[in-house]
Amino acid sequence: MSQRDIKTKIESVRNIQKITRAMEMVSAARLRRAEQRIAALRPYAAAIRRMTRQAADAAEGLPRLSILAAREPKTIGIMFVTSDRGLAGAFNSQILRAGLRSAAEHEREGREVVVWGSGRRGVSSLAFRGREPARGYTGFTDRPSYADARQIAGDLIAAFTDEEVDRVEVIYNGYVSPLTQRVTQEVLLPLKEASVLGEDAEDDEDSEGQQSSDGAEHDKHALVEYEPDAGEILKRLVPDYVEISIYRALLESTASEHGARMTAMRSASENASELIDTYTLEMNRARQAEITQEIMEVVAGAEGLG
Amino acid sequence: MAHTPFGVEVLTPDGELFNDEVEMVSTRTSTGSIGILAHHTPLLAMLDPAELRLYKSESDIVRFAQAEGYLQMTGERALILVEEAVPPDQLDRSTLEARLRAAEEELERAEEGSERAAKAGRDKRRLECFIELAGSSG
Repeated sequence: MSQRDIKTKIESVRNIQKITRAMEMVSAARLRRAEQRIAALRPYAAAIRRMTRQAADAAEGLPRLSILAAREPKTIGIMFVTSDRGLAGAFNSQILRAGLRSAAEHEREGREVVVWGSGRRGVSSLAFRGREPARGYTGFTDRPSYADARQIAGDLIAAFTDEEVDRVEVIYNGYVSPLTQRVTQEVLLPLKEASVLGEDAEDDEDSEGQQSSDGAEHDKHALVEYEPDAGEILKRLVPDYVEISIYRALLESTASEHGARMTAMRSASENASELIDTYTLEMNRARQAEITQEIMEVVAGAEGLG
Repeated sequence: MAHTPFGVEVLTPDGELFNDEVEMVSTRTSTGSIGILAHHTPLLAMLDPAELRLYKSESDIVRFAQAEGYLQMTGERALILVEEAVPPDQLDRSTLEARLRAAEEELERAEEGSERAAKAGRDKRRLECFIELAGSSG
């Protein structure tokens, strides 16, 4: 390679590095916003889940609600939460891998699987792998709104109550830290099998913990009045709980996406630096070789004269 | 007459709106208007769209236009969870009316008795209530 070729290469790597650096910074800013929204949502989500548990306990023995009852799970619905855009490392592929593995397991055991997808990446990959999503939701994963969650939740609940599916699961990248995302799979419906009933104290963490666990303790012993009654409340609470769970999944996925992209772009920038160093070295070597060559020619010429 | 103050928290999916001591909470549950004072019995109630009034004192009242939600009274605290709560002076009549029309259209399109129709009906009721509150404050 000539000096000029290497120079062009260095220039182009430098340009790429400028882009990856900018993307890293944009992702960092968006991550901060997404984190704030998760923090704002958490107390509300925890309270809704707590109330759902409480009302479900109280509604025990009441006439069965269709939305509560577990039926023979013949068809499983799985919601894949991914992102609209790529360049975020393993972010989307780890969701697809985990979700498809669990779909294949269900099918081995003779159950049918219906998939839904949010995020352009997930929707198109699912279709590409021969699992056309029953519904795809795209265009908002950068900044999901409550209305988006509500629309998805409405469709999922309708699919469940109309008995298109007998179980609703959601799989998303849970947000742990900017560097870590955890693939999380939750059962939303039927409520009897829902993850919310199993988790008990888990949601009542941190600052709220003290006061709410006191409250929960109090409820178990005191007679709680329900207005109108626990069954009616549950009928409205369950859709709200599904909405809030979807909203939380979307928000966590968004924060995870920005975190994953930030990390991916940082390592891309670092790789670019390394490349630039290597190429610079190579260019210096080439220049040195050229100079040596010229000196040799001059010396040879001088010797020829002498 | 001064009442014993008690703690009230108002939470929405977008964060905490209010967390302070009040003397009385006034709102509407699915069975009717309700006023809550300190030492109320433990309660879990569904809230309907209405004006939520938090009486810090007789004359100092914090108001919100409240969407549907839940009220939980445990021990000495009230927890109010609502999907949406807006100070009445921030309600914008024309946007609300546009949203109301959209909800009405949705209600007509939706199959009767379906989950979708129920949701649209609830949207409509909420928006009508908000418009009324917007009117009375402006």
